[in-house]
Amino acid sequence: MFKPGVTVWYSVKSLDQTIDFYKEKLGFEVNFHDPDTGMAMVNTNTKDCIIGFSEAEEVVPSTSSTVFEVYDIVHTRELLEQRGVRFIGDTETVPGMAKLATFVDPDGHNLMLSEELESA
Amino acid sequence: MLLEVEPSGGRFTPLQNRLQITPARLSDNLKRMAEHGLLRHLSPLERRHPALPEYVLTEKGLLLRDAAKAVQSAEGMLGYGRLSAKAWNLPLLLALHYEHTRFQDIRFALGQVTPRMLSGRLDELQLIGAVDKSIAELPRPAYIYLLHQDSKPPVRRLAADLSSLL
Repeated sequence: MFKPGVTVWYSVKSLDQTIDFYKEKLGFEVNFHDPDTGMAMVNTNTKDCIIGFSEAEEVVPSTSSTVFEVYDIVHTRELLEQRGVRFIGDTETVPGMAKLATFVDPDGHNLMLSEELESA
Repeated sequence: MLLEVEPSGGRFTPLQNRLQITPARLSDNLKRMAEHGLLRHLSPLERRHPALPEYVLTEKGLLLRDAAKAVQSAEGMLGYGRLSAKAWNLPLLLALHYEHTRFQDIRFALGQVTPRMLSGRLDELQLIGAVDKSIAELPRPAYIYLLHQDSKPPVRRLAADLSSLL
């Protein structure tokens, strides 16, 4: 029924700031950028999983997190914080499942790191 | 702006890029157009996808968009640039099309125009060649204003297009 691939779309205030964040801070590759229409997309490190952005006059930060899997949440969080990424709260643990750390992009959209627990 | 809303997908950034105006000015204009019932502003929660329109023309907006298209087409045929950028230019040409040829007749037909404004616009339109000025002897000597021969077809077309919208 579905073909492989997932795209998450966000409304953003400034495409330049957004691209800077997702490219320079998170390390994703920009695969589309059209300043005329105010739209861009980045490839995540997962094949066919893309994040799209569209500039909008009014943006409501999304509290529904896009979650990125990591091998070492402590190390990744430190690295991103050194790059100026803002995290919200402490790293939390869902017993038997994962460690989670929430951070935000320039528009306040919630993003999350997740490290699967070994016992999960 | 009416003409650019749909080609820009109803989104703020493409609209700003097409119009080449500051975000603050665009925002202000959009707000005023929405207040006058020409546009509907969709809230972020109403939009199902970030690439979908933020603004859509209302029925009234669509009607005025069609009128703006007619004006743009007439301006292209007339070849004097954006005459509609100055108040009263196009109503004045339409008044001449409807055979209001004497100053007071034109003034009465246009309603709210001041004599000074009307005089200025008539001089400008005469200067660029859109309007001819001559003296009529009867019933008493007076200046009359007529559309220049080349201006008649575009203005006739504009009048017909606008009438068809009513």
